[in-house]
Amino acid sequence: MQVASTPKRPPAPAPAAARSKHPSDRAGVDLCAAIPGLRAVLKWRPLQFWLMWANLVCFAVFINAGLFGSPVGSHNIMIVFVWILWWFLLIALLVPFLSRFWCTMCPLPAFGEWLQRLRLIGVWPGSGPAKHRTRSLGLSRAWPRALQNIWLQNGGFLGLAVCSALLVTRPIVSTVVLGGMIVLALGLALVYRQRAFCMYLCPVSGFLGLYSMTSTVAVRVKDRALCRGHKEKECLLGCAAGYGCPWFQYVGSMERNNYCGMCFECFKTCPHDNVTLYLRPFCSETGIKGVDEAFKAFIMVALALVYSVTLLGPWGVVKDWANASESGHWGGFALYALAVVGLCLVLFPALHLGAVALGRRLGGGPAVRLKAAFVGFAYTWVPLGLLAWIAFSVPLLMVNGAYILSALSDPMGRGADFFGTATVAWHPILPEWVPLLQAPLLLVGLFYALSKSLQVSRQLFGPPARAVPAVLPVWGLATAVTAVFMFFFAG
Amino acid sequence: MTGAAADVEPAPGGGRHTLFAALGVAAGVALGAALGLVAFDQTEPPRDRHIVVRARQYAYDPPVIRVNRGDRLFLKLVALDVMHGFFLEGHDLDVEIAPQQSTFKVRHPSRPDDWTEQEEVVVIADTPGKFRFRCSHTCGSLHPFMSGELIVEPNRVLHAGLGACGGLFVGSVAVARRRSRSASR
Ligand code: SF4
Ligand code: SF4
Ligand code: SF4
Ligand SMILES: [Cu+2]
Repeated sequence: MQVASTPKRPPAPAPAAARSKHPSDRAGVDLCAAIPGLRAVLKWRPLQFWLMWANLVCFAVFINAGLFGSPVGSHNIMIVFVWILWWFLLIALLVPFLSRFWCTMCPLPAFGEWLQRLRLIGVWPGSGPAKHRTRSLGLSRAWPRALQNIWLQNGGFLGLAVCSALLVTRPIVSTVVLGGMIVLALGLALVYRQRAFCMYLCPVSGFLGLYSMTSTVAVRVKDRALCRGHKEKECLLGCAAGYGCPWFQYVGSMERNNYCGMCFECFKTCPHDNVTLYLRPFCSETGIKGVDEAFKAFIMVALALVYSVTLLGPWGVVKDWANASESGHWGGFALYALAVVGLCLVLFPALHLGAVALGRRLGGGPAVRLKAAFVGFAYTWVPLGLLAWIAFSVPLLMVNGAYILSALSDPMGRGADFFGTATVAWHPILPEWVPLLQAPLLLVGLFYALSKSLQVSRQLFGPPARAVPAVLPVWGLATAVTAVFMFFFAG
Repeated sequence: MTGAAADVEPAPGGGRHTLFAALGVAAGVALGAALGLVAFDQTEPPRDRHIVVRARQYAYDPPVIRVNRGDRLFLKLVALDVMHGFFLEGHDLDVEIAPQQSTFKVRHPSRPDDWTEQEEVVVIADTPGKFRFRCSHTCGSLHPFMSGELIVEPNRVLHAGLGACGGLFVGSVAVARRRSRSASR
């Protein structure tokens, strides 16, 4: 297997200030130094296997319930655990605080990865020199260059989003989609190298990567100079202790969380124990690279708006359209799909472009390329989108949390009662407090959006006399979008 | 946390600047919220309202009931297709509505087993704010998302929230502009 020659994402030019300062030079608290035993745990080879295994067992239960359980979503563990519990934990806790820790334990790529390695835990040692230190089953092709971006993920996520009213209410639809992802990941693992599915196809991956930029933890090296001088590069090429980065990252110069799947292989492979886990402030990374990532940011904010209308809103017509397979309003569904895609891919990006172009003029900056400003300022929507999604997800748990108890005792919705909680009646927890929680969450999102977009503007436009005027239109747009969310949530 | 206008590199005497920025932005948020609260606190005098709410898969008609603080609502609830529920947040009210019936079963979730058959239910809108009513009787695929809204004006969370958004914006602009002027001097 030729890990070393695996092409990485084409490196986009980093903003000047980002280049001049290595984030790892001010990376925060070294958790492996602060927490005794943490490094040993992360270096422990079976860790990832057991985490994946536990989730795979749960997943088997969900799939079983999806296939043979009650078709009523709120009585089926597939719907209740995946779309209420998992979703809430993911967006509100895992991503903001633990980056892509979900990807450490995600069961979807499990079979593919185990088959590639022909091992559950150990390393399949290679025989040859540098580039063949570990082996891999399958064709080990490189992912096509033209697709080395997250456009496929954007498309897949948007496609699923349009069908979300089906996906999150019909156990069988969730089963087919999630089961299909396992099969696809397995197939791709046999053709392409390592985690190609995760990097380029998984629909969840796009927003996990984008929003993990905000996360309070990060995998980084302690000393970059050590890496520069270290020719063996086990973190990239693998060795007897572990595989080269399955996510095609070179941790020695990694500055962003986006594509680090937190598999912790580099903790195991680095002979200098140079890799560690840092604790750092929320929203420490601000560098968006590429139009594909910028569009991911737009899509996520726009979809939070869409769901606030279709799922949380009171309007029956929209629900009929989104739910066409039952209501039969296929014409309405077409209109709805068009509106959703149009909002995500045309209207929202156009508003952003307008604000950025105006800001570029105010900042007096033909020196700053429009595309660089467009992509850079897209970070505004990362904290705002994340907090809007958290605000959106709060009522999911508070209102429908009781279903978790009943689904635990009766996973199939077929009358079992394992823990005596099967008949717990639906009862929302303090639902009248929901807007009171959502409003401050939105304000926190707006605060970070303003603060971080000014930081981006300083990197693009330089001195405050230019950077401040340049950011104002984006600030205005962010404030307006927050106000729209405020209307949906509290008004 | 630093102020929205915090610099990439702290300016000389940065600690004081950051504190100043944070205070400025916080003052903007507080002022904005207060302004929102005060500006929209007037409502009309209370009155009685008679409202028929029709429930169907998966919405209510009217979807939004907008009233003023102190209003008395006389609700008649009708189900157009299958059995639905009407759980009104913050008002200890839950109703079971059978299709094609002129009466419905009412209970107070604080006393869960006390059902009474009624033709009309009275809600006193004495707490301002947004209260959703949700279907509490599994009625089909989108049942968990079947809801409507009772808005009791003045809706203070909304007013304060919008005011705070505006205040955050204005406060940040003020701090940032001041900073950029002092930096260019
Ligand atoms: S990228 Fe997707 S499939 Fe891969 S580990 Fe993460 S969530 Fe799972
Ligand atoms: S193996 Fe360790 S020291 Fe060498 S390049 Fe990788 S992280 Fe740096
Ligand atoms: S090996 Fe790669 S994906 Fe795994 S933790 Fe290290 S950098 Fe992240
Ligand atoms: Cu219903």
